Amino acid sequence: MGLAHQLTPFAALLPLGVAFLMLALSHWLPPRSADVTSLVVSLGLVVLCGWLAIESLHGPILHWFGAWTPEVSGKPDVMLGIAFSVDPASAAVAAFCALLFAGSFVFAWGYFDKVHAHFHILMLLFLAAMIGFCLTRDLFNLFVWFELMGIAAFALTAYPLGKSSLEGAFNFTVTNALGSFLMLAGVGLLYARTGTLDFVTMGRVIASVPPDPVIAGGFCLLATALLTKAAIVPFHMWLSDAHAVAPSPVSVIFSGVMVSLGLFGLLKLIAMVFAGDAQVMMLVHVVLFWLGVATAVVGGLMAWAQRHLKRLLAFSTIAHLGVMLIAIASVSAIGTEGFLVYLVGHGLVKGTLFMIAGILLARFNSVDELELYGEGRSLWPAGIAMGLAGLLLGGLPWGLLHDATDSVHAGNHGVAGVVAIIVGTALTGAAVLRATGRIFLRWSGVPAVELVAPTEREREKGNRPLWLMLLPCVVMLAIALLPADLAESFLHSAASGLVARVVPHEGGGTLAAAITFALTILIPAASLLRRRPIRKFARRAVEAETAPFYALHVLHSGRVTDYVVWMMVGLAVLAGWLKFG
Amino acid sequence: MNVLAWCVAAWLLGVGIYGIVTSRHYVHLIGCMTVCQSATYVLLLGIGFRWGAGAPIFYDHPPGTPAVDPVMQALVLTDIVVSASMTALLLAIALQVHKRRCTLDPQHLRPLRPRE
Amino acid sequence: MNRYWRLVLLAPALVVLAIAAAQVILAMPAFGHPLSQYGTTVNALAPVLRNVSNMVAAVNFDVRAIDTLGEESMLICAVTATVILLRGRRGEDMTECAGKLHGREWLERSDATVLMCRLMATTLFLYGAYVILHGTITPGGGFQGGAIAASSFVLIYLGEGYSVSRDLLHSEVLAAVEGLGGLVFALAAMVPLAFGYAAAQNVLPLGNWKDLYSGGTMVVVNAAVGVAVIGSFGVLLVEFLEETRAPRPGDEDDETREEGA
Repeated sequence: MGLAHQLTPFAALLPLGVAFLMLALSHWLPPRSADVTSLVVSLGLVVLCGWLAIESLHGPILHWFGAWTPEVSGKPDVMLGIAFSVDPASAAVAAFCALLFAGSFVFAWGYFDKVHAHFHILMLLFLAAMIGFCLTRDLFNLFVWFELMGIAAFALTAYPLGKSSLEGAFNFTVTNALGSFLMLAGVGLLYARTGTLDFVTMGRVIASVPPDPVIAGGFCLLATALLTKAAIVPFHMWLSDAHAVAPSPVSVIFSGVMVSLGLFGLLKLIAMVFAGDAQVMMLVHVVLFWLGVATAVVGGLMAWAQRHLKRLLAFSTIAHLGVMLIAIASVSAIGTEGFLVYLVGHGLVKGTLFMIAGILLARFNSVDELELYGEGRSLWPAGIAMGLAGLLLGGLPWGLLHDATDSVHAGNHGVAGVVAIIVGTALTGAAVLRATGRIFLRWSGVPAVELVAPTEREREKGNRPLWLMLLPCVVMLAIALLPADLAESFLHSAASGLVARVVPHEGGGTLAAAITFALTILIPAASLLRRRPIRKFARRAVEAETAPFYALHVLHSGRVTDYVVWMMVGLAVLAGWLKFG
Repeated sequence: MNVLAWCVAAWLLGVGIYGIVTSRHYVHLIGCMTVCQSATYVLLLGIGFRWGAGAPIFYDHPPGTPAVDPVMQALVLTDIVVSASMTALLLAIALQVHKRRCTLDPQHLRPLRPRE
Repeated sequence: MNRYWRLVLLAPALVVLAIAAAQVILAMPAFGHPLSQYGTTVNALAPVLRNVSNMVAAVNFDVRAIDTLGEESMLICAVTATVILLRGRRGEDMTECAGKLHGREWLERSDATVLMCRLMATTLFLYGAYVILHGTITPGGGFQGGAIAASSFVLIYLGEGYSVSRDLLHSEVLAAVEGLGGLVFALAAMVPLAFGYAAAQNVLPLGNWKDLYSGGTMVVVNAAVGVAVIGSFGVLLVEFLEETRAPRPGDEDDETREEGA
């Protein structure tokens, strides 16, 4: 019962308490006090969770709420209480969430000072939910934090009250709320079969019973909810709507960490609860792997075909989530290590890119790559940051993302996975570089597929100096440029604490990385050198090139009713593979 | 009788989904979401149910009387709060959408329309 | 996709799901014979360990108190979200002329309506308070009682009309009540930590079984939830009522909000 044990619950309780206090005083708070308080709280949580991560290297820290420890029930398999279980990976992810929030609070300094600190209240509740989601060891408690995370996110998306942001928020709410109902049904099924809600006990019970449709069904329902949150094909449609229209400081959080938390939750469930069920593990190895492949490819193609910068970044997030899912589907220590580094590296780079999109919005009232042609020259520091972030996203052989991709390649055993990672990574990096070239360098190139993409003019308040908005970008990029080797021993114990399974490492990662980076440079170069097709043959070629992208645009229709159909198709794929596969 | 409760839950989920997919109005769609959610109420309460047991309130009955699972009832209470929160939020969004677009037909509402 | 294509795509998915659901249903534990020891253990232990008679309250406010804190945060979050979404129409300074505002009809109430509403509003509020206070003993508790008590606000609006109800229900007070309720709950979870106990541990004297004060910290937490729910529902009511009047110049809207900066 050391200090770490006593401090663990504060990670979630402190932001909740501060949010309630701010709400109680909301009509009387002096200006800027909400900004200061939120920033201090999130920085404090970075320190707390980081320290907990290091402390937990000696063994997981368990805190039973209300002192309802396992002994109270007097029966071996009955866990009455709820525990927060701190392992290095969970605490590190929680610390990363808090770090990203701190960056977002700096970026949004003074932006949201009109509505009684309500923005900060929502953000702090959001942060508390994420930290609770990372640390909890109880299935229903996980649902509660998941749901709180959802409600805060829905509200923040609709915050600008524009036409698109309201519709985007509606689509986001309906799909994710439907996911959460399915999750609750899954929790119910698992409780009915195993009689407990505690991860570890449930895992023990599942390992001791023969494969059972109720357990498999429970997994499918939970996976649907988490894959919806994580925007995996075919559950991914809401993301491009929501992330493209949310205020940029909020999109930083959404793309940076909220969606990847869905995958982190899935990883924890697979590792702690379902590891003993052979049927479910087969589903993970096969179906989740192929869903990851599809996600990386679709996300990459769609990102390339966008002109609205925030929508482009949203699709790029989808592609990278596919790569992360491929890492998870290997269920191996090296894959998990790759996933954890990827989560952090991607979050930092994507957060930076959304902040730069926010800077463009604040200055030019647009994030349309074609409308902004050459406008960005006066903002050259932002251009340098964007170019660097694009290179990192596209596999620059340096920094966290590169090291993470290496680990993912090492844990992945399939040509399809390698190809999907190359395509997804290269196309998203290429798309960002193409936009950078057009906006900041006046490089032209006749637009092709991106011309038909949806776009809209929008506005964001530009009441902050440029250096203040660039400060978090620079810090985050600097962290993303660190090599992952610095924390090698920590990463090993964090990953093996979740998934201990060791697989033989695949070679060829270096070759794949070289191909990826070459493509990242060559594709935008080719695109920016493009001339108007004059000859008949050239026009035909352009039409043939555009057609598949056009079909993809049509499928991503923006209608929530379509999205629900795709969700059901996805659930049917999971369930049908178990039944007939 | 043994499977009736589960069938009802599955049916409610199914018709709720059908309603959402064929909806022509946001408010109707929100109603269908509530139908989907009631599937979870039925499922959870069914899981906690025990033949011949009473409510888990030991006021008139002494502790030790057979009672249904209070945990499931507590979970349903949470579920109801979720439902109330979600409905309020969705209705507020629908109201604002209507003010700006003058329609609530999901077929015509799509963020970031393609350039014509 | 139009409705036709959606249904074409949905039908096979639902068929597959129906088959899978049938398989799950047939494998479920027998209805009415739950496998879980969790509920029975709570039913056996909570009356002894906590002196309470309402097991659902024991689960909500003690055994799984952290869930309930999350749940209350969810409610508060949704209410705050609604305030943001409907913002700019709060009308805090408009109670003077509110009844005669353009776009809002003033309907004369009959004396019978006014009388009934006054009687019912008072009774309902007291009944809600009663349900909250007896949360640990009999069916009910903070959430249910809070919702009942807050519905008396609707009756105030119905009987007295808009401007009197706005005089009685100030959104800043309601928001403060809401926030304080949540804060008390969060403090009840945090303060025991400072004294070396577990978070949300039940540290107050437990009281007697079937007594109004029974369950120690549960009483405080239950009351806090009740207060927070009253505040939340009050805020919701005020916000949605504001929607019944026509927009006025000076209302905060998306256009003015961005340009005002």
